[in-house]
Amino acid sequence: MTLLADILVLGSLLLSVLLTIQSAYTLYLMLYTWDRPEAYQRAKAPTHFLPAQKPFTVMLPARHEEDVIQTTIERVVRANYPLPLIEVVVICKTDDEGTIAKAEEKIAELRAQGIDNVRVLTFSNQPTNKPHGLNVALTATTNEVVTIFDSEDDIHPDIFNVINTVMLQEGVNVVQSGVQLMNYESNWYSTLNVLEYFFWFKSRLHYHARAGMTPLGGNTVFFVRSVLERAGGWDEHNLTEDADVGIRISSMGEPVRVVYDDRYVTREETPPTLDHFIRQRTRWSQGFLQTLMKREWARLPNFEQRLLAIYTLAFPSIQALLGLYVMVSLATMFTIKTPVLVAITLSLPLYMLLAHLLLSVIGLYEFTDAHQLKPSWKTPLVMALTYLPYQWVLSYASVRATIRELRGINNWEKTAHVGAHRLEPQPLGSAASAKA
Amino acid sequence: MAWRTLLDRVLLVVSLTTGAVTHGYNLFKYPLYVTDEGIYIQQAWSVLREARLSPYTYFYDHAPAGWLVIAGWVAILPSQFQTFGSAIDTGRALMLLVHITSTLLVYRVTARLSGSKAGAVIAAFIFNVSPLAIFYQRQVLLDNVMVMWVLLTLYLVTSGSDWRRGDMRIVAAMLSGLTFGLAVLTKENAIFFAPVTGYLLFKRLRGRMNYRFGVGFWSFSAVSMVSLYFLYATLKNELLPSGFSFDLNNPPADHVSLLYTIWWQLHRSQGSILDTNSPVWQFSLGAWLPKDTFVLVAGAAAALINLTVGLLSRGRRLEGVVVSGLALSYAIYLARGSQMLEFYVVPLLPFLAINIGLLAAWLVSWLPRLLRVIPVVALTGVFVFNPAWGYVLVVDQFGHVVPHDLYKLDQTSMQAEQLQWIRQNIPPDAKLIIDDDMWADLHDQKPFYKWAHSHYKAASDPDVRDKLFGKDWRNIDYVVMSNKMRDAMLLNNADGGETWILQALDHSQVVWSVEHGDVKLEIDRVNK
Repeated sequence: MTLLADILVLGSLLLSVLLTIQSAYTLYLMLYTWDRPEAYQRAKAPTHFLPAQKPFTVMLPARHEEDVIQTTIERVVRANYPLPLIEVVVICKTDDEGTIAKAEEKIAELRAQGIDNVRVLTFSNQPTNKPHGLNVALTATTNEVVTIFDSEDDIHPDIFNVINTVMLQEGVNVVQSGVQLMNYESNWYSTLNVLEYFFWFKSRLHYHARAGMTPLGGNTVFFVRSVLERAGGWDEHNLTEDADVGIRISSMGEPVRVVYDDRYVTREETPPTLDHFIRQRTRWSQGFLQTLMKREWARLPNFEQRLLAIYTLAFPSIQALLGLYVMVSLATMFTIKTPVLVAITLSLPLYMLLAHLLLSVIGLYEFTDAHQLKPSWKTPLVMALTYLPYQWVLSYASVRATIRELRGINNWEKTAHVGAHRLEPQPLGSAASAKA
Repeated sequence: MAWRTLLDRVLLVVSLTTGAVTHGYNLFKYPLYVTDEGIYIQQAWSVLREARLSPYTYFYDHAPAGWLVIAGWVAILPSQFQTFGSAIDTGRALMLLVHITSTLLVYRVTARLSGSKAGAVIAAFIFNVSPLAIFYQRQVLLDNVMVMWVLLTLYLVTSGSDWRRGDMRIVAAMLSGLTFGLAVLTKENAIFFAPVTGYLLFKRLRGRMNYRFGVGFWSFSAVSMVSLYFLYATLKNELLPSGFSFDLNNPPADHVSLLYTIWWQLHRSQGSILDTNSPVWQFSLGAWLPKDTFVLVAGAAAALINLTVGLLSRGRRLEGVVVSGLALSYAIYLARGSQMLEFYVVPLLPFLAINIGLLAAWLVSWLPRLLRVIPVVALTGVFVFNPAWGYVLVVDQFGHVVPHDLYKLDQTSMQAEQLQWIRQNIPPDAKLIIDDDMWADLHDQKPFYKWAHSHYKAASDPDVRDKLFGKDWRNIDYVVMSNKMRDAMLLNNADGGETWILQALDHSQVVWSVEHGDVKLEIDRVNK
């Protein structure tokens, strides 16, 4: 029994130190933009736009998106950018007749208004997933800059002007612009989920871009076509093809510019139910694991980048550990009599957990300020109560992902979109309160 | 390197060297080792040798960060406590490093706040040569370590390209929160610097993009650091007194309690500023002013002028409010009449020096740039070479110009002789009543005198008083008297705890003694 207790204490101690270090590092990544005033300035979008020059191919991969696809098409074609410079393709599998019908209906409507730059592109062979659709579209389109929007995305009408200006001014070939979940008071996990996006796009991704190791997002990402072609397109067997293509592009030495300007973010919604949320998170965790196993990151030029890649890709698994560790640590502290110094060391990850909670609460006010929203006084309290359960959900998804990967299950568990961020329609560009 | 940077470096090196010389020269000889130095060294000894915070029952009278630092210092030395001579000498060597670090910080903080090298040089100079400062800064005192952490906090809060207009990093805010927490854990009265430090941080960050994160994480870091002390007490089951009893007339008997001790300390009062018999008057008139009138009077005047200028300038001279606020808030703490000891003046000194530096910078700025060096050189010249000023040179009773006592007196050799006599003439198994100044030397070097205990512990700690000595003077073999120890025993005897030791003195004969100036040491053998 004592031997078992000793092993438990020693293990906890080691884990405690490692988790504290990783937790402090993650905290830093999440604060990076606020810590570095020059990074904060760099992240902003240009204040003046150059005349439209770059032609865009907009890819809209969709599966069973009958409810939202028409709005999405509408938003893209109504953007403040010359229509001749935009080519829109809705990408569907042939069996998704509902979405195809809705898209065609919208296209006909637009044609009647003289807008004829939208078409549906279908594919029939396996696998049935987003990267496959994107690869099909890549060969079937021609414009210089390729971008992707998901069906539920609310894009800013000036997004093409922003990217056109950044690409012309800075000569960059890959630009990731911010994506932001908006419905932060929809349910118990939505606040923390919204803030994950906020910290990821507003802060952490800038750190990655500076380090030259950027796992890209799945939409509002812009590539000069030749870069994608050199990278060989998207990996059709990877559940997070976006992060994967980002790492491959990084290993080609191609710099990525990240723009997070609160005004120009693409607005999205949190998954509508916990079940969907878990499925989405499982897919991400599994995709990261797959990308880790693929070892494309090993081709990154320097050691720091490779380390950062391993850390980022393994992060969901580490997160699983953190969520579970809290319980082990509390149990160890109060049930096994340890020397005081040991007990204090065991408590360090709890301090880090509190630091992360504080980060999220302050982040809530930064987020709502940036979007002219006013959070309820109850929201921080709900966050405090749900913070650990949220971590446990992530842990669960991560464990689930690992099991799926080990058992070779690789199907795409699609996230449903109900348009929670569109329920209270606001004029574009203004503050859209996203209460559902 | 630009000439400005070069000049800055040269002035800084000169300032640090001055501090090293004034504090390092004669460091181990003067002043006399005192009880408090002995206590902190003894507790550092306990950390290293026993993995505890004190060789006796630790009752949370002070937070432990200070002697943990001392223990860390001793741990890396080749001969540990004996590296620089006696155990206290080894502690004093650390104080020298602490002072040099503090001087660096005083220089940099003043330079940032005043925007003037002249101001920085003057502040550092006064901090380095004030006889009052040197006297206490050479001693192994928690206050010296605490001051270093507070100055480091200010250094971090003023970091970045321009503290008035530029951005501040969140990492700097976090670190300064941690160092401030360390200051509080070194000596709790650092808390009196919190309001002004918080105000400076707030003024600096307000309206900036990282305002919320900066202030939030500064506070979080500071509170987390301090909370470790409470966590420690909780883990030892010593946070709350047994039965939640905070009755000051009836201290809990079965175990010590952090919150009870805090409660007790908050209710200790030794009169107020209105009472001329209170320690603040006794010390300021009796101990502090005679050592250095200038730093106290000029520092106080400078603080008041800086405060006035700062308030009248409507935010343009924020530094005036901040620097004077730091000095005044601590002065108010001293004046409010709580428990205090002679060396409690220590944390005031760097801020008086910075106030003088800031005022000097302001006055000098009226002169053309090239002429600014003249008043600085003249002032330092007067301080160093004019014996009438009494800083470095003094006129003795024979009318001769001689160095200040700080640089020539040797008092600790008498204490070394006393220790040596014990080792040569008293068997190690004898039961000794001593003062804390020699505790670590007797317990750390062979042969160990494990029955040597200070009269404070013998008067109050049940383990020593009752179990070891049975509270009977006949169980004492020798009483080793430090300077004015009998006075200290009488002062400490309000509850009669020292009576049985005083009885031992009454039944003893002097077997060794030395007297020089106002210092008298002796060793008494108890006749049974």
